[in-house]
Amino acid sequence: MATLRRLLARQEVIIALTIIILSIFIGLVNPSFFSIPNVFRILRSGIIVGMFAMGVLIVLISGGIDVSFPAIAVSAMYITVVFIRDTGIDSLVLSFVVAGLIGLALGLFNAFFIALFKLPTLIVTLGTLSLFRGLLLFFVGSQRIRIAEVSPVLSDLSRGNLITIDNPAGGVANLHIAFVFLVVLAVIVWLLLRYTMLGRAIYAMGGDLEAAERVGFNVRRTQFFIYGFVGLVAGITGIVYCSLSREADPFSIVGIELDVIAAVVLGGASIMGGRGTVVGTLLGVLLITLISSSLVLLGISSDWQRFVVGILIIIGTSIPVLQLRQRQRTQSAAQAV
Amino acid sequence: MVHRRSIFLVVFALTILALSFGVSFAQEATPDAPSSPGAILDVSGDWTIATVVKLTGIAWFDRMETGVNWVSEDYPNVTAFQQGPAQADAALQVQVIEDLLAQGVDALCVIPFQPETVEPVLQRAREEGVVVITHEASNQENIDYDIEAFDNSAYGVHLMEALAERMNYEGEYTVFVGSLTSATHNQWVDAAIAYQQENYPDMTFVGDKNESFDDPQQAYERMQELLIAYPNLRGVQGSASTDVVGVGQAVEEAGLQDQIVVVGTSLPSISRDLINTDAIDLISFWDPALAGYACNMLAIQQLEGTLPVTDGELPEEGFGFSNLTGYEELSLVDKVFYGAAWVDVTSENVDEWDF
Amino acid sequence: MPEVFLEANHISKSFVGVQALQDVSLKIEKGEVACLVGENGSGKSTFIKIICGVYAPDQGEIIINGKTYRHLRPIDSIREGIQVIFQDFSLFPNLTVAENIALNDQVARGRQLVNWGTIKKIAREALDQIEIDLPLDATVGEMSVANKQLIAISRAMQQNARLVVMDEPTTALTRKEVEVLYRIVRGLRERGIAILFVSHKLNEVQVLAERVVILRNGSKVVDSPAKELTQEKIVLSMTGHTIADSRYEYSTPKTGQPLLRLEKLSRKGSFRDISFDLYPGEIIGVTGLLGSGRTELALALFGSHPADQGTIKVDGQAVKINSIQDAIKHGIGYVPEDRLTEGLFLERSIGDNIVVRSLKTLLNRSGMVDAVKKHTEIQTWVNNLHIKTSDPLMAVKSLSGGNQQRVVIAKWLASLPRILILNGPTVGVDVGSKAEIHGIVKGLAQQGLGIIVISDDIPELMQVCNRILLMQRGALVESFETKNIAEAALADRLVETIGGD
Repeated sequence: MATLRRLLARQEVIIALTIIILSIFIGLVNPSFFSIPNVFRILRSGIIVGMFAMGVLIVLISGGIDVSFPAIAVSAMYITVVFIRDTGIDSLVLSFVVAGLIGLALGLFNAFFIALFKLPTLIVTLGTLSLFRGLLLFFVGSQRIRIAEVSPVLSDLSRGNLITIDNPAGGVANLHIAFVFLVVLAVIVWLLLRYTMLGRAIYAMGGDLEAAERVGFNVRRTQFFIYGFVGLVAGITGIVYCSLSREADPFSIVGIELDVIAAVVLGGASIMGGRGTVVGTLLGVLLITLISSSLVLLGISSDWQRFVVGILIIIGTSIPVLQLRQRQRTQSAAQAV
Repeated sequence: MVHRRSIFLVVFALTILALSFGVSFAQEATPDAPSSPGAILDVSGDWTIATVVKLTGIAWFDRMETGVNWVSEDYPNVTAFQQGPAQADAALQVQVIEDLLAQGVDALCVIPFQPETVEPVLQRAREEGVVVITHEASNQENIDYDIEAFDNSAYGVHLMEALAERMNYEGEYTVFVGSLTSATHNQWVDAAIAYQQENYPDMTFVGDKNESFDDPQQAYERMQELLIAYPNLRGVQGSASTDVVGVGQAVEEAGLQDQIVVVGTSLPSISRDLINTDAIDLISFWDPALAGYACNMLAIQQLEGTLPVTDGELPEEGFGFSNLTGYEELSLVDKVFYGAAWVDVTSENVDEWDF
Repeated sequence: MPEVFLEANHISKSFVGVQALQDVSLKIEKGEVACLVGENGSGKSTFIKIICGVYAPDQGEIIINGKTYRHLRPIDSIREGIQVIFQDFSLFPNLTVAENIALNDQVARGRQLVNWGTIKKIAREALDQIEIDLPLDATVGEMSVANKQLIAISRAMQQNARLVVMDEPTTALTRKEVEVLYRIVRGLRERGIAILFVSHKLNEVQVLAERVVILRNGSKVVDSPAKELTQEKIVLSMTGHTIADSRYEYSTPKTGQPLLRLEKLSRKGSFRDISFDLYPGEIIGVTGLLGSGRTELALALFGSHPADQGTIKVDGQAVKINSIQDAIKHGIGYVPEDRLTEGLFLERSIGDNIVVRSLKTLLNRSGMVDAVKKHTEIQTWVNNLHIKTSDPLMAVKSLSGGNQQRVVIAKWLASLPRILILNGPTVGVDVGSKAEIHGIVKGLAQQGLGIIVISDDIPELMQVCNRILLMQRGALVESFETKNIAEAALADRLVETIGGD
């Protein structure tokens, strides 16, 4: 009983249960929910949010927030694609390197203001969100570029599949190769957070910044790492995004930040810092993806879809809050006895 | 310390700028220009006609400029040119119109960015005796005439005919709109669905109007979900230019190019690769060069006083521009002329277009 | 001749013109327990920060283990084995016990990777050293203050500590927990580790210290073996004057309506059948162990944890108090135990904190806060309660504990309550300020307020209250008139109650 209660106090378990219950419900309404093509579809549609979430998780644990990553991603993506178009250098590795470096540079730009000027992270990244995107649209361009017309290599990536099976309902079902990126990134972040002192420094900073300094962590250097890493991840995610969507549109991606942050918080990371896990975050991403991509299966009419998404997110996010309140009540009761 | 920081700051800012400039290149699109339609009107006056577009530097309006230039070619005593703001901004467009009025033009052809924002400046233009023709603004008030490439219901029916024919007039289909609040998209699909129900009893509309929010990724994900929910889906009609792009991608990835028909409004530049793989079967649009040309033709006739309109009615024998495909037979409702100027593009002719 | 571990010679330090320390010399021998005593602002904190290398002294030198440091850096101090346990413990609430204990060591060794086995081993050994057992995987944020302190101590232990400085370590501990701390301190001393115990609780000083050093206004005024000092002598040295030990004389006859009457007030799981009257001018003390229901009773009267049975009457009228708004409406004010988290907006100014409850009375005709009225109001309270600040616009966190407590009291008085509940009014407040706060409370009662003081500080209750109620396991078990009872008798009675638990 006590073990069960402790288990239920874990955000990951709550989210996993919510996912299971929701899945059973959708499956009852529409049995084709439990089919491999549908699983592949949901996994693929979580790739981008999931990759962004890995970066955001680190920032939230450290006690900061970053809302500029979509602008970093779209800048890195678009500049890289324009670079490929105009130079004709079409190499998979090079495009990832270029996008990653642009992302890293923009992330370090954030870090520079956050670490050296000690400005609030929300203010800095809100500013650079507009700044990066504005510069992109003004100086680089505002037109959609179809990947197929400029980069055969990226175009091949967009058609690359990890697993392909015959769909009994006709055609084929694929699990996109980009899913590997998400898995690799998640493993890296998990190892980083759990088995490196850098990762522990990030948790320590989120717990108590001053105490982290007293212990001897180099807080500034860690902040440079954090925001640089988010930038790097965003840059690479940008390239993955354009190969998934087969186009580079400078107006895309920005707007995804709320979904990503919601997923990470839903997964148990605290907006106040110090708490959060990779597993929880992935579950949070899965839940958000599940909710927003099962409305047709549930037969909800278009007029109601946004309403239903809103309701489900409110329910999903209030569970942990109620959970916490319950825990506090039990604690104070225990003290009173 | 502070000094060193500000140096850092400047270096960073410069790096960003350099990065941005380094990759900013000239627009390379040069629309293929078949020859102009040729003169069919007698023009007695020397007219200056300005065409004001929503935004310069994008392929759509570059193509329109080609049409505007044909006017100058065909009618030597007409000076026709195109201008527009460099950024998508209603206020900037008003600024451009005001500057043109100050320079003194005889007629304005305006594609308003935001119809209600340009009303005051158009009103002033007309008070000064300038002829005002608009395009893509059928509710504009302070105008002489508006001209639309087609009537929305007729266009919706046209797309449904294309869809039904390729579906052998049977099977399940659904439709996409940019959003449920987008008036033109909903007019297109409403007319299409009504026409199907009347004429193609073996076809079934399934689900609901799907919203794509003008985002191909949303259209893609929605289409993937539809493929799971409706395994017998055989056709899709898109509305936003990105709808068929997302839908086509989902169809191609599922290997269903041959089973599912995808038609809709789009542009060759964003759908060419998917048309070539047959994931998209047909797209339709109107040629901005012809639309721009038609606007200017109306302006010239209004200036010359040769438009055959009496009491808001066209003459019995009809009216149109015989040399302008899709505008040969115009209809007039209130102050709005309608053509039938849609252009269908399939894998056969997709490479003829560069926007 | 005992060996000297640390020697501070002629230390002086000033901050922008304020002389914080003046020519202070101090020796700490190996394995001795020394108490550093002084009021807030006497220079204790500055002295600690100098010997751990955070501040550099303007003059003087520090000799550790025979090695002379002119510029002691924090890392030197740590390497020499000086460990400071600050009042806030510097723990990470989000990390486990094991990691909190081992993290310092791992960082100091420049580790890049984390070996969870090693971390647990280090933590286990550190806890064993002070003979304490705590769950290694528990999150520190969910532990009691006492356990947090034990974690901070064991963290200090595993870095070869030679001198452990504890800055007011008993502030938030219960009596039992203090006993555990005493035992640990004695254990450390036996292992040859010196302790510098910073405190202003006189009884602790007398129980623990072998030597007492008293600072006043930045100068050392006393440095002598503890057994040569009496409590009076210590107080005199700390404050520079004797503090009158006068009890509260309640003379008004109890006629007419009581201000507040409780009839069989109960809350499930917290307290039951509490009945008493509070007359204008009365100061009633409520005491009992932690968990006896005393705080819960106060929170019920303040509406934040409403009672579920019984009646509350204000001026003879039965009232419902189901929310804090209800309590305020009936003129009840509450000064919480934990002023840092419940009573103050630490980052906001002193003035803002004072008027936050009474803003409505400061509005001008257009519904905006009248700046002049606000300023006057703030000045009045700063003066009345002797809040020591040069500028009420400074953040509250810049004040000492005693002055912060005055701001909380001012905040409630500004909303003109008729019944004031003070929970632990002098926790973490030094001797001098304590007497002043007691004076303020008595003055308020004489103006006709009814006051309830909740405290486990028996001498405090004896001084301030005219009546003391003893609670045990949620019930009111006894009531004393202070003029009829000696302090020792009440203490005995309390001990009996504890024994019964």
